[in-house]
Amino acid sequence: MADGMRIWVVIAAYNEASVIARVVGEVARRGYHVVVVDDGSSDGTADRAAAAAAVVRHPVNLGQGAALQTGIDYALQQGAGVVVTFDADGQHRAADIERLVAALREAPADFALGSRFLGSTVALSTARRLLLRAATVFTQVTTGLRLTDTHNGLRAMTRRGAEKIRLRQNRMAHASEILAQIAASGLPYAEVPVRIEYTAYSLAKGQRLGDALAILFDLFARRLYR
Amino acid sequence: MTAQIGLSVLLALVLLYAGNERRRSPVVAWLSIVAALAGLYCTWVPEHATSLAHWAGIGRGVDLVLYIWVCITLIVLLNLHLKLRTQMELVTELARTIALAEARAQPMRKPERRRISRRAG
Repeated sequence: MADGMRIWVVIAAYNEASVIARVVGEVARRGYHVVVVDDGSSDGTADRAAAAAAVVRHPVNLGQGAALQTGIDYALQQGAGVVVTFDADGQHRAADIERLVAALREAPADFALGSRFLGSTVALSTARRLLLRAATVFTQVTTGLRLTDTHNGLRAMTRRGAEKIRLRQNRMAHASEILAQIAASGLPYAEVPVRIEYTAYSLAKGQRLGDALAILFDLFARRLYR
Repeated sequence: MTAQIGLSVLLALVLLYAGNERRRSPVVAWLSIVAALAGLYCTWVPEHATSLAHWAGIGRGVDLVLYIWVCITLIVLLNLHLKLRTQMELVTELARTIALAEARAQPMRKPERRRISRRAG
């Protein structure tokens, strides 16, 4: 499915100057097209990323969901056959992109979703594990998708799949929204084992229990208006 | 009587507001309509309001009307929040359009691996 297709990796970044050059470099060295969406950073993230990637700059900070949608739009405009979303904080491995793209071809599927629980994690705390498990149950109940890891930012989608995604949750609730849209699209999906390597840096930037409540409120509020 | 008329005018305004909001956020509109109608009923049939208040464990009918008014205020606050979200979606679309237009004006970057292989070749 992905043979000969242009693979674009979308990285949403906000104030990631200390790690973005390394993350982008690792992905770009594997031959993928990379677009970094600088979500209104004030620390020179865009300049660091520009050495190895196309950079799209939001004039103001909008949130990771908004940045990912911008990146997906950009990739589609550039003729992407496959769009991959990849975190900027260094917790994902560039080597896993190939496995996701292979899953699109072999399943075949329009969405390949990374799972740290089918794969492995480094330095995942018990509290975070429980939070992720709760999110997985919530998503299974609300979308009907049979997944083991619902808040993993490492995903690949075919062009047809990417065209079905229209994120309106600007902040962290986009991870649940994208799964709801995958379920609504009716397109085939697959889960792929991936490795997540938490560092002190990525943990500091990660979500907390309070964020989970905000996500639930965002998802609820979104249902109240058109 | 003066208070009843004043409150009724305010509740009628809530009904008008709810009617206007019905298309955009139907859930909020229906909640407002139900609360405003309940408020009107309790305002003009206070003896029922008192029995209803006793049944609900509130005590006085006037307290029940007050609680309904608080509910309406909260619903309107929720609606304001939803309006802000709608505005944010418009801002997002605008920012995205600007960002993508600026990016299109930049020269395309080739993947790094190809550059490496060219150097090797």
